[in-house]
Amino acid sequence: MEKYRIFDNELEKLTERVVKMSHLVEEQVSNAVLALNNYDIELAKHVIENDNKVDKLDVKIDKLCQKIFALQQPVATDLRYIISSLKINNDLERIGDHAVNIAKRIDALCDYTDFSKEFGVDKVANQAVMLYKDVDQLIKTHNLILATDIFQNANLIKESCHKISDKIIEEMMLQKEVIVVATNIMIIVNLIERIASYSTNVAESIIFVVEGKIVKHQKKDDENK
Amino acid sequence: MKNLKIHTENMYLHYGSKMALNNISISIPENKVTALIGPSGCGKSTFLRSLNRMNDLIDSVKIEGNIFIDNINIYDKNIDVVNLRKKVGMVFQKSNPFAKSIFENVAYGPRINGINNKTELTEIVEKSLQNAAIWDEVKDRLYDSALGLSGGQQQRLCIARTLAVNPEVILMDEPASALDPLSTAKIEELIVHLKEEYTIVIVTHNMQQAARISDDTAFFYLGELIEFGKTKKIFTNPDKKQTEDYITGRFG
Repeated sequence: MEKYRIFDNELEKLTERVVKMSHLVEEQVSNAVLALNNYDIELAKHVIENDNKVDKLDVKIDKLCQKIFALQQPVATDLRYIISSLKINNDLERIGDHAVNIAKRIDALCDYTDFSKEFGVDKVANQAVMLYKDVDQLIKTHNLILATDIFQNANLIKESCHKISDKIIEEMMLQKEVIVVATNIMIIVNLIERIASYSTNVAESIIFVVEGKIVKHQKKDDENK
Repeated sequence: MKNLKIHTENMYLHYGSKMALNNISISIPENKVTALIGPSGCGKSTFLRSLNRMNDLIDSVKIEGNIFIDNINIYDKNIDVVNLRKKVGMVFQKSNPFAKSIFENVAYGPRINGINNKTELTEIVEKSLQNAAIWDEVKDRLYDSALGLSGGQQQRLCIARTLAVNPEVILMDEPASALDPLSTAKIEELIVHLKEEYTIVIVTHNMQQAARISDDTAFFYLGELIEFGKTKKIFTNPDKKQTEDYITGRFG
């Protein structure tokens, strides 16, 4: 039984690291949005600097998964768990990158705070923070009720983002002098939309772990029908 | 399910008063590899041996229920057991070549079935050795002793010997468990190739081997068939907790 004690220890280590990754990314998203809403350049810098912690942990998780695949040949729930951990890790790293990309654009908004507040970006950014808190809980608990909430809330965020982008385009057509700042805001909105999208990926991966079902693309297929 | 080759209905097997198989009903498809897995003493080898009535050789065995191969009940009293074992060949854990030449090992079965024509025998021997993927290694020493072959070669020779009597089903009881990884890989590749012409039922303790080569997997525990299904389903998302516990090594 020695082998499986080692194996279980490796799985525990993987869980610890993925939970830590999720927590780090939660901090990054929360801080990026806080910096965005308060035009806080110092906090934005902190987010940018912290990215290397996320990147390092990303590599550590990848390596651990590789090691488990090579040495333990996992099957069934273990197999699904490790495949999903790899994918979740990748999605979290991308969410972390998007938080950094938001932080990098805050500087460009500081001289146009009145303009940038017009579109309700702060509201949708806060919704993304709340969405990510559910993702973090889902990773820790595997409670699939949260997955359903995540799908619904991510859709609402995506809809809001599309509406904001349309409004920004209208504004750019009216006032050519705001094109630069408006483009930055639009990119930020797009990044928020991507965070919502990656959050649904994580929820899909957790459903795969728990139920063994592949649910990705299903909604698109249903819509096409 | 595709064409059925073997199916059992409510099969029970006792060794004296001890029940070894408890109400086994299973349908094994033609031209597929079916793996039987489970811990030692779970009944998988007993089940395998029931499929060509090898258990008849044990006095205390009592079998109830039905086993059909091609819809014929093989425990019917009119069944010729010798013919049955020609149709349902067997390869064992330990290779067991006769202390004869390579040629004679393969020609043995056809000979006792009345084939004595040298040309015909030579053709059968060559074809069988080719189908067992050992021809190239032995073609220049067909009259050397089979005992001089390596373990992996001896096992493939035994497979050739089984093929020489033209079976339809091949039963394999841990055919690669005593072999090194390279010989194991050759046997596994051979099994996957052989299923085009034969129906293969294999007992293995090697989970990865079952996952690699079989189309369907049956998990036995304490004489019961716990779960039977597509191998890719069993190894990614089994229905029963006992199956999950066994294949992930968290049993007991």
